[in-house]
Amino acid sequence: MAIEVSDRAREWLKRKGGVVTVRLSPRHGCCGGGADIAVAEARAPDVPEHYTRLDLDGVIVHIDPSLLDQGLRLDVEGFLGLGHLFVEGASPTRSKE
Amino acid sequence: MTAHQESQSPSTSEGMGLFERFLSVWVALAIVAGVLLGQFVPAVPETLSRFEYAQVSIPVAILIWAMIFPMMAQIDFSAVLGVRRQPKGLVITTTVNWLIKPFTMFAIAWFFLTVVFQPLIPEPLASQYLAGAILLGAAPCTAMVFVWSTLTRGDAAYTLVQVALNDLIMLFTFAPIVVFLLGVSNIPIPWDTVALSVVLYIVIPLAAGYLTRRTLIARHGSEWYDNVFMKKVGPITPVGLIITLVLLFAFQGEVILEAPLHILLIAIPLILQTFLIFFIAYGWAKAWKVPHNVAAPGAMIGASNFFELAVAAAIALFGLQSGAALATVVGVLVEVPLMLALVGIANRTRHHFPGAETQAHAEARG
Repeated sequence: MAIEVSDRAREWLKRKGGVVTVRLSPRHGCCGGGADIAVAEARAPDVPEHYTRLDLDGVIVHIDPSLLDQGLRLDVEGFLGLGHLFVEGASPTRSKE
Repeated sequence: MTAHQESQSPSTSEGMGLFERFLSVWVALAIVAGVLLGQFVPAVPETLSRFEYAQVSIPVAILIWAMIFPMMAQIDFSAVLGVRRQPKGLVITTTVNWLIKPFTMFAIAWFFLTVVFQPLIPEPLASQYLAGAILLGAAPCTAMVFVWSTLTRGDAAYTLVQVALNDLIMLFTFAPIVVFLLGVSNIPIPWDTVALSVVLYIVIPLAAGYLTRRTLIARHGSEWYDNVFMKKVGPITPVGLIITLVLLFAFQGEVILEAPLHILLIAIPLILQTFLIFFIAYGWAKAWKVPHNVAAPGAMIGASNFFELAVAAAIALFGLQSGAALATVVGVLVEVPLMLALVGIANRTRHHFPGAETQAHAEARG
């Protein structure tokens, strides 16, 4: 499967507009270097052409092609009515910079 | 470890670039450059030391903000909402970082610097070095843990959560821990001086980083923020670090030239502390059957220090010429080789943790 979306995340995303972007977010190390972390955001990407578009049971997923078919799972976590999307199963990778 | 698992362990060359891999070399060169600057062009540090406001050196404050702000600007505090997802890992890392690490650092540094090395380090300096060690032990790593997590195939989502959580905790615990341990060491520091350094070097960069992140993402989007803004701002941290070290050693020249052996003596308790904290957190995670991709980054964050903050606080509390500032720099000097050794240990012991096979197969598929 390209990426799995949990039932909870699907319901949450549908309430937020039904679109999610799954991408790599660079983090810089204080001694130099860095890592790319997989993150998910409930919005369309700035440049959709850079992503693979999937329709997973009513949720439009724009995913970085390098994250496809890696056994990743999209879920939502949070409390007090606040939610935060996260990508489960991803390891940070060496920053492309 | 099976041959298959061995093949899944990332190499250091895969995870680190030239600068960070040889950080110890650049730090050593910064020490030499700083000492030479202080000895042959003393007008430079003398002139810079005149720019002070309320006993805060303006050039140093600017350099320290340059080091710390980029780290704070990349923290996604909304990740804290995930604290319930890996509770065992977070219990271990927060307990080790805040209830164990500062106190073992104090105990080990006190034992070596004031007891074992008593014949080699005169008393006023030993207390200064101890103060530097206390400052190093009072704050866990913030930014490099992403690199250590990469090198040990850590869980990315968990790493984000533990960094955000520890930075929030640090806001409230750094000053009380430092004041308490300095008090126990008979190194009295006025509360208002500690509070000022916390405001200057934690609260202001953290608030500025948070507001910058929120404002710019709302205006330009998160991809622009990550790939344009942070791409320019992120590399400022290591540059600021090296310039700060040059400046610091321009003031420290006499100490280094008179007692170069002190650097080695300071390094010994810091090295022991790093291994001890790693093995406490890693062993605890093993006992609790925490998956390796949580255990490794969970142990790395406490073993590694937020040394930019320690350097900043040492300079603010004791001055550029202090032994405390020198001790915090020794922390920087040994950081990368030590952490790479721990990365090697974590990767070689991966198979002792639950989920290693699944992780290896998933990586093989990817």
